[in-house]
Amino acid sequence: MIESTDLTKRAELPSPKRIGAKFLARFGPLPFLIVPSILIFAWGNPRFLSEANVVNMLQQGVYLLLAAIAQLLVLIAGGFDLSVGSNIALTSIVSSSLMVAVQQAYPDAAWLAVLVGLVATLGVGAFAGVCNAAGVALLKVNPFIVTLATASIFQGLTLLISQGLQIEGLPEPFVEVLGAGFVWQIPVPALIAIPIVLFFYVLTSWTRFGRNLYATGSNPRAALIAGISVPQVLFVTYLCCAVLAAITGFLLTARVASGEPLLGAEFPLRSITAAVIGGCSLRGGKGTVVGVVLGVVFVTILANGMDLLRLGSNYQMIILGVVLIGAVVLDRYRAA
Amino acid sequence: MTPAAALDRPHDSVVSLNGIWKSFGGLSVLKDVSIELRRGEVHVLLGENGAGKSTLVNVMIGAHAPDRGEVRLHAKPVDDLNPFVARQLGINAVMQDFSLAPAMTVAENYFLGREETRGPFLRKGEMRAAAHAAIQSLGVAIDVDTPVSDLSRPEQQLLEIIRALGGRPGALILDEPTATLSHDESEILFSTLDRLRRGGWAVLYITHRLNEVHRLADRITILRDGSVVAQYPAGQVSDERLIRDMVGRSLETFYPAVQSQAGDVALALVGVSDKNGRISDVTLNVRYGEIVGIGGLVGCGKGEIGSIVFGLDALKAGRLELDGQPRRFSGPRDALQHGIVYLPQDRRGEALALNRSADENMTIERIRSGEGAAWGFLKTGSLSNFVRSMISMLDIRPPDPEKPAQDFSGGNQQKLVLGRALSRPRKIFILCEPTAGIDVGARLDFYQQMERLCQQGAAIVLISSDLQELIHLSHRIYVMHRGRVVGELSGDRRTEDEVTRYAFGG
Repeated sequence: MIESTDLTKRAELPSPKRIGAKFLARFGPLPFLIVPSILIFAWGNPRFLSEANVVNMLQQGVYLLLAAIAQLLVLIAGGFDLSVGSNIALTSIVSSSLMVAVQQAYPDAAWLAVLVGLVATLGVGAFAGVCNAAGVALLKVNPFIVTLATASIFQGLTLLISQGLQIEGLPEPFVEVLGAGFVWQIPVPALIAIPIVLFFYVLTSWTRFGRNLYATGSNPRAALIAGISVPQVLFVTYLCCAVLAAITGFLLTARVASGEPLLGAEFPLRSITAAVIGGCSLRGGKGTVVGVVLGVVFVTILANGMDLLRLGSNYQMIILGVVLIGAVVLDRYRAA
Repeated sequence: MTPAAALDRPHDSVVSLNGIWKSFGGLSVLKDVSIELRRGEVHVLLGENGAGKSTLVNVMIGAHAPDRGEVRLHAKPVDDLNPFVARQLGINAVMQDFSLAPAMTVAENYFLGREETRGPFLRKGEMRAAAHAAIQSLGVAIDVDTPVSDLSRPEQQLLEIIRALGGRPGALILDEPTATLSHDESEILFSTLDRLRRGGWAVLYITHRLNEVHRLADRITILRDGSVVAQYPAGQVSDERLIRDMVGRSLETFYPAVQSQAGDVALALVGVSDKNGRISDVTLNVRYGEIVGIGGLVGCGKGEIGSIVFGLDALKAGRLELDGQPRRFSGPRDALQHGIVYLPQDRRGEALALNRSADENMTIERIRSGEGAAWGFLKTGSLSNFVRSMISMLDIRPPDPEKPAQDFSGGNQQKLVLGRALSRPRKIFILCEPTAGIDVGARLDFYQQMERLCQQGAAIVLISSDLQELIHLSHRIYVMHRGRVVGELSGDRRTEDEVTRYAFGG
């Protein structure tokens, strides 16, 4: 056997570039956009930086953050998940129905109901994940098409189960703790999001799976020849994405305090937008958790700031579109 | 000056660059470069990768504007030169990365950008006939209705060249055109260039193969590190001098003489045929400590040997034997686990994740080992050490592990692939066209690595269209023709003539 190399030789590396250039290369243009935005909005409306508003932004941003991280995974793999919205809706309806049913059967065990809801959430996530994964990894159909189809299927299932109606009467602990609760003055959903975000950060940057994922997204053929099991990587990725989207749906349901058949409709597009602004490439093989966090921060600040400046939602949509294009173009200059 | 006016008065000097300077982001790529292409002359440009040849060509065709200096076409300075204007003025370049539309047919590609129309409608019948005639006249057998994606790479290359010739005569620029051509197809190219020369074209021919310099050059310019080091009329300079000018150092021998200490049979193919019908009844073997070459014309099936062994293509008949035991590999992962590594021909398409860093590319397999990861978590320190040692050992430039793979030159990209191949213990190396498109200096480095591996006892299969490389490095050569092994050469029989004879069927 030819052993690997003699590790005692070391090459001389080039000296580090100027700190500014390195920072830019590492974190992208977003920090340079976020800071001025904060200043502009704070100047426009002093309430922007008030504690109440910061908490408000945190509460708004958490759900988008989780969905955007779910999207990040499949974007790195070179695909999309357009079904996250319907996934959220399906999770909302299924978990709500079960929670209400358990609550009625065991009125004193509210936490049991919540637990059942969580299990149902993971179940829906797994189901959705397997559907998407089977289409992309096994049938080898274009992810755009697969998730477009499953979006429709899940939405149909949601409306079927709910008959188009909201589901009321969710367990109190669910709504009050998971939806509107605070611990140490931080909203509970945000607290829950922290370990989730950390988990995916570690997964993408510090594990073998992460490297395999980036390689698969960047060049699936080369990944195969390097011995990576591409179908396996894709399968796990789409599964994780769907489970994370389902969890988002669960938390969102707690926030709106009812099972909603049309919940999450805007999430597919907004999550992709936030991820792309955060540095993901639609061609695959690029994107980081840190980038997505910054992307979501920026989008949330923008939306919230514009609200406080009393900009109409029509203007906001235009601005968001312009920002998206601007961020992508800026990113290309950075790479050049 | 309008394009029409320029072509009215053919001038001796078709393309002339004077004092060209060009930098990219602070890095000086061309320094005071002057070169002239004259009518009826083949001007050969020699230089290593990174010398600035591609940038020079881009300046000539207007893809890049020089920072300083003047570009003259047909002896007149041209403002706002861009590739479209250049083409209209008769300056046609055929680069290493083709500009063909894969989903369209040969005929459609032939007329891409200059379709013949009657009013707003395409004259499809006439275009088809014209394309057919142009291809026929060169003695090449390509069906004009084939989609380009179905053509082999050398066929695409030839089409690219034929397409360039279809424009107005002026200057033809070819960048390493024979990199993926066989001996036979290269000859077609050379006789075409002879004809062009007689017809008054100016040709710039970029290569690093000295036999092509002998065959084609009227004048030779050598570029090194962005500067013109020397210019010679043909026939007035020795090969040694040329190599020294290109590389900046003296070379004892071009190819290392690798000693063979052939041991047991490592890998054998017995009566192998593949499902696609590209190879049939192939029997060959390679032993530990030897380099076995596989040669033949393009399309002979030698390229498929690698993918069959590696489990990428399915066997229809026959068997593989590893260390004497029959084996079948279910896929690349399986083959890799048994110590076999395959370096595919298309390194950009099949071997590298281009937008990931050099570090990630080189360690993508190592992370599956104990040195690379524990419980799924990366051992970044250990991996980083490995990468740095690879960069040093293989002389990868620039020595930046974080740089995306796509930012490295072709030769250095191949080094990244080799680095990955060396990241785990291996018994058998299958190298498919490993030095295609790589400059002299990098090739030497690569040959030295092969020598080292062989001495350490590896079995190496070298699949190559480069006759010189095949002859000088292989201890034994199998020659294939139309999917079959038609000859096995060893000892004194390893000559260009013998290989060529068998390549055409023996």
